[in-house]
Amino acid sequence: MNIVVCLKQIPDLQQIRIKDRRPLLEGAPLIFGDMDKSALEEAVRIKEKAKGTKVTALAMGGAKLKDGIKEALAIGADEAVLLMDPPFAGSDTMGTARALAKAIEKLGEHDLILCGEGSTDNYSGQVGPRLAELLDLPQITYVRELEIEGNKLKAVRNMEESFEVVETELPALVTVADEINQPRLASLRDILKAARKPVQEWTAADLGLSEDEVGAKGSAIETVSNLAPEQERKQVVFKGDLDEVTENLINALTKEGVLGR
Amino acid sequence: MEFRLTAEQELWKNTVREFAERELEPIARKIDEEWERIPDEIIRKMADLGIFGVTIPEEYGGMAMPGEEMQYAVITIHELARGELSMSLPVYTLLCIGWPLLLVPYGTKEAKEEILPKVASGEWFLGINTTEPGGGSDLANIVTVGRSDGDKWIVNGEKAYISGVREATERGGGHLTLFKTDPTKGYKGTTFAYFPADAPGTTYTTYRDMGRMGLSTGGFVYKNVEIPKKYILGEENKGFYVNMEGFNVARALVSAACLGGAEKCLEISREYTKQRVLFGRPLVNFEAISFEIADDYAQLELLKLMLQKGAWMIDQFYQDRSSFTKEEINRTISICKAHAPMLAVEIAKHGMMYHGASGYTKDTPLEMALRGFMSYVVGAEGGYHIQKIIIARDYIGEEAVPYRGTQKAH
Ligand SMILES: Cc1cc2nc3c(=O)[nH]c(=O)nc-3n(C[C@H](O)[C@H](O)[C@H](O)COP(=O)(O)OP(=O)(O)OC[C@H]3O[C@@H](n4cnc5c(N)ncnc54)[C@H](O)[C@@H]3O)c2cc1C
Repeated sequence: MNIVVCLKQIPDLQQIRIKDRRPLLEGAPLIFGDMDKSALEEAVRIKEKAKGTKVTALAMGGAKLKDGIKEALAIGADEAVLLMDPPFAGSDTMGTARALAKAIEKLGEHDLILCGEGSTDNYSGQVGPRLAELLDLPQITYVRELEIEGNKLKAVRNMEESFEVVETELPALVTVADEINQPRLASLRDILKAARKPVQEWTAADLGLSEDEVGAKGSAIETVSNLAPEQERKQVVFKGDLDEVTENLINALTKEGVLGR
Repeated sequence: MEFRLTAEQELWKNTVREFAERELEPIARKIDEEWERIPDEIIRKMADLGIFGVTIPEEYGGMAMPGEEMQYAVITIHELARGELSMSLPVYTLLCIGWPLLLVPYGTKEAKEEILPKVASGEWFLGINTTEPGGGSDLANIVTVGRSDGDKWIVNGEKAYISGVREATERGGGHLTLFKTDPTKGYKGTTFAYFPADAPGTTYTTYRDMGRMGLSTGGFVYKNVEIPKKYILGEENKGFYVNMEGFNVARALVSAACLGGAEKCLEISREYTKQRVLFGRPLVNFEAISFEIADDYAQLELLKLMLQKGAWMIDQFYQDRSSFTKEEINRTISICKAHAPMLAVEIAKHGMMYHGASGYTKDTPLEMALRGFMSYVVGAEGGYHIQKIIIARDYIGEEAVPYRGTQKAH
């Protein structure tokens, strides 16, 4: 079985400083998002069960991917393809999906494409579904449990209020929620071995993509501003008799939907 | 000149940091206070990650990156200490990964094949055993003695303040031990060899320490203990040099533990003083506080850089012994060992003061860290003053060497 895992490098959200509501992204270390790592972990678990499975890590991004991809290789991807060409810069979700789709086609036969349900920075949740559309594959999103038997794929989707169990045949595209697993830490042996795994770099031209299809030029979306959400605290204080205060508090929390859902 | 970690070192650092945050931070207090030991489960997880194999070559069951062993070891201990501020687990680990660096070049093949795979797998503990009740600073005058008897020594004597006496006895493993094989001579009559903790005739006692309660400190008593000569490191009566060379490795890792712990304490203080509001502003807005944090941070960064250089020098040395003289390495490492524990104690103390009364409680890990750091100020792996003697000896010269006295200990 051939599995392709799509990963995106994002700024480490825990190390971003906010100034005047604007996130300062310069200098923040780049990491793979939690859900992307869960997608990779799931691929490696499938590989461990099904002998002969090959996992390819596919990532589009800047020059730091060259070092960053080693983490994916250490965790268990067999090889990697990096899309690091300047024309890719500034791609919106459609451009990204186009580039990934072309790369996956170029890779050849594939049975399963795994993505995170969204990237932890912009969280549009669109790349996976668009990619499935472009590749003409069945897509299953928000997956919290995944089982593969022969050619059949069974997945449990998290619909927030309920779970949905669906089945499809391979090939398919799955986007995972981070609850699907706890990604492993790579051992030192695997980290050192990763340096010897094959990594290819493909340009837009390699994929036959023109500048109008990807990158800033090919983007239908313009980012006008990027602001951290402001969290206004309600600052409600209940005073008085303890029993009464407790009841008021419970009522208020129920009204807010925090309790009694 | 290159000041950056390699991509692999960076990845390893992040891996150990995440492990420490996930697995160690939540249990550090329990290790120190409740269990007074490091759980087997944690040691197994560390071994799975490869932590105990960072300095051990692949042929002996480890996964060392040849030529970068010390750099990886320093990264490992620094990150573990950030997560386990009692210092018990970092010290347990630094002993286990430090001393193999000496066993590899100086041990016999037979001994290495027996010991190293068990250390790399986390099964065995490996420690250092030099100090005696008569004094740890003055190792030329130790009195534990081994009488040569064919292919073994018959050992009698006593060691004191040894880390991991219980761990080696209960888990398996032992200690690299300095002892006299020619009692008529000073340091030129000493030999350095591995002593299995379960060698018949060996008994141990433990002390009640001030800190790092998850790792035992105790004494060994040897009564006619037979130690096979295959366990020797280097040559008979030349053990002192091997032991001293090993102290550079150990002292570098001790410094890493102190700097990693101090770094975490400083971050705790930075976050707390940003949030604590007094006199209508954040506590850190007072320069008495922010300047002190800035100074502590500067000292920390200076020492981290010095240690990075020291670790790199040791790695160069084991690749090519003409790359640096021992004196150059001694000096660099002693600067780290003299100042890292002192700085760590200061940073923990300052943090306790910023926290006010809560800093004096067990609600923060600062007091636990301070107790742990103190072990390296008072002694372990050579006290503060001894480091100064080394720096002075090498920088000033013979005139500054005080240890040529003739008075006998009583
Ligand atoms: C928690 C802990 C764990 C330890 N673990 C180990 C271990 O695993 N293995 C091991 O072998 N040892 C271990 N030690 C012992 C440690 O190595 C010794 O404490 C250290 O070498 C100092 O020896 P001492 O305690 O006998 O003090 P002493 O040698 O009696 O020294 C006492 C004081 O005098 C100072 N001093 C000594 N000589 C001079 C001088 N010439 N000029 C100025 N000042 C001087 C010292 O710095 C010290 O402050 C451990 C110690 C501690 C506290």
